[in-house]
Amino acid sequence: MGVSPSSGLRGWTRGVAPLALAVAVLSVLQLGLNAWDSYADGQAALGAEVFRPDFLVYLSSLVAVNVVLTVSLNIVNGMTGQFSIGHAGFMAVGAYIAGKLSFEVKELAISGLPHAVSDQVLFTLSLLAGGAAAALCGFLVGLPSLRLKGDYLAIVTLGFGEIIRVVVQNTPALGAALGISGIPQHSSLFMVWLWVFITVLAARRIANSSHGRSLWAIREDEVAAEAMGVNTTGYKVRSFVVSSFFAGIAGGLFAHFVPIINPGSFTFVKSMEVVVMVVAGGLGSTTGAILAAVMLTLLPEGLRSLFLAVGGGDASLAQKVDQVRMPVYGVLLVVLMLVRPQGLFGTKEIWDVLPKWLPRLPRAPNSPPARGKEAA
Amino acid sequence: MSAGELLLRAEKCSIEFGGLRALEDFDLEIRRGDLKGLIGPNGAGKTTAFNLLTGVYRPSSGNILVGGQRVNGLQPHQINRLGLARTFQNIRLFKGLCAVDNVRVACLAESTPLISKERLEPLRKRGGVSAAVANALDATNNYYDWWRALLLTPGFQQEERDLASKAERLLEVMGLSHRRDEEARNLPYGEQRRLEIARALGTRPKVLLLDEPAAGMNTREKADLMALIRQLRDRFSLGILVIEHDMKLVMGICEEITVLDHGETIARDTPEKVRNDPKVIEAYLGEPYRISDPREARP
Ligand SMILES: Nc1ncnc2c1ncn2[C@@H]1O[C@H](COP(=O)(O)OP(=O)(O)OP(=O)(O)O)[C@@H](O)[C@H]1O
Ligand SMILES: [Mg+2]
Repeated sequence: MGVSPSSGLRGWTRGVAPLALAVAVLSVLQLGLNAWDSYADGQAALGAEVFRPDFLVYLSSLVAVNVVLTVSLNIVNGMTGQFSIGHAGFMAVGAYIAGKLSFEVKELAISGLPHAVSDQVLFTLSLLAGGAAAALCGFLVGLPSLRLKGDYLAIVTLGFGEIIRVVVQNTPALGAALGISGIPQHSSLFMVWLWVFITVLAARRIANSSHGRSLWAIREDEVAAEAMGVNTTGYKVRSFVVSSFFAGIAGGLFAHFVPIINPGSFTFVKSMEVVVMVVAGGLGSTTGAILAAVMLTLLPEGLRSLFLAVGGGDASLAQKVDQVRMPVYGVLLVVLMLVRPQGLFGTKEIWDVLPKWLPRLPRAPNSPPARGKEAA
Repeated sequence: MSAGELLLRAEKCSIEFGGLRALEDFDLEIRRGDLKGLIGPNGAGKTTAFNLLTGVYRPSSGNILVGGQRVNGLQPHQINRLGLARTFQNIRLFKGLCAVDNVRVACLAESTPLISKERLEPLRKRGGVSAAVANALDATNNYYDWWRALLLTPGFQQEERDLASKAERLLEVMGLSHRRDEEARNLPYGEQRRLEIARALGTRPKVLLLDEPAAGMNTREKADLMALIRQLRDRFSLGILVIEHDMKLVMGICEEITVLDHGETIARDTPEKVRNDPKVIEAYLGEPYRISDPREARP
């Protein structure tokens, strides 16, 4: 299951180094982007037209949100073997809580800090609040339904997603059906990808820890896991809470780069989209989830842009493409089940399926070995 | 006969499945160092007895005590934590996990909780609000443990290393070190049975319940298993209860044998006496076994 690039490190460094590295790399990227922006501004003042990467940043943010959603859902559906189909509901909780909070405090600034920094601090706080609210919902939804054997979780999460949507739709304070616009656009390339990194790191570390092994065990044989002293209900609930937290974070990020959030963004269709991504990537494979999320986000966006170009800017064709998205997902899911039921990578990670002649990273001393050969 | 500390005791346990009395007034005592057998024809209720003891089913009447504590209604993982581990008749390994991971799941970490168990227990005993607070604190402990995994704290890394080496040791004891990285489903049958025992040992049991550990093994493997079971009892000072259809094995290693038939205990005695008990012969052993007994066959 695991190779960790930081396998040579010891003590606290091993835990913190990857994050520090990610912050450094993303900061450089963000600063580069900012520099380009001010250069473009300068050129524009001189009357020259310069390429602006705004759309690319937006697209990459969409990708990032979907990666966070998919990787987090994979913890429940993939590693633990439970079936949640209401991830959009938890995303909505995060989006509305974080969005509303930011909206309320957008005139405020923390004294003593530069505006930009203060904005980011407040943004982070609302994100965490959104994540915490989603995690709390996850606990309340998970505790009763995960106690029971069988597919109650699917039914309950489905219901939860719909309830959240209907509640929002009928709450004027949350913009009802129209949604909230004017949420400060604090999101940045740095922030979304930092959260992607945190989510992936968390998922991988869970998978490689004793907690993760308990989750795998529950997925493999719940009765045996229970008999071996694994508190199956507790583990299931905890994995569900962690998963919900990250769904909330994804929602919070989403709310800070789209111009408007409304209930239409968090429907059952969105939940299914995430499920399809998890299944396509391979239930239990984090890298598979990432790859599937990236591909299945870019594909429709790419097609939309293509049809916009072909139709000469006529949006109706592109809209049609958007409408066939769901049936296409359905067909894709069926084909996948027939052709490759274990998904892209099965339970393995990308480095387990790379060709043998590629150089390998050294294995972490106490990380478990690859989970054997997959029955081809 | 046995003088070790009393580890497990069943008192008049019964259970019904929709009118079928699968087990009736079942009594049992396992002390440290005991090696006892449970036999009987198919459908006699042997596995059901294991399921009762380990908390898979709740007895409809009777008591089960583990180390003096009544465990009726506790969940299987709680009973396991009290020192009762088992294997399954129809092997239930974590098939997709490799051998060492199977054992590592069972070797739950001895983590140092944020709030120690000693401080929580008295709170819990007081009941009412205090118990609720204790449960909440316990939950906090669990989430704190996940944080340690997420941050890869030095303490957590150390625990993981201890866990891994413990699992390796158990694999070695069961002679499975060479299968370390093999997926459980790919092991030969006999090794799967041994891996199940290794996994059960990972939970640090006081009592080990083995459900037909020799099923599907060849004669040599069975002989090895007999030696191994004895060795495990001595090395880990366990009490062991074995269900087994192979009479040579049961009679060979057990000091006391309980015979079930239609849920009722029809005999409980030394192998010698059980073997010659007419009721047992009629219900289970039959004549052929008597004849095949070496001493009886001798003219
Ligand atoms: N969950 C259940 N629901 C209904 N009946 C059950 C259940 N579990 C066991 N039984 C019944 O209880 C009886 C005893 O079953 P048990 O599995 O304990 O037999 P056993 O002694 O282990 O037999 P074997 O030697 O074949 O393993 C059988 O008649 C079985 O059909
Ligand atoms: Mg049985």
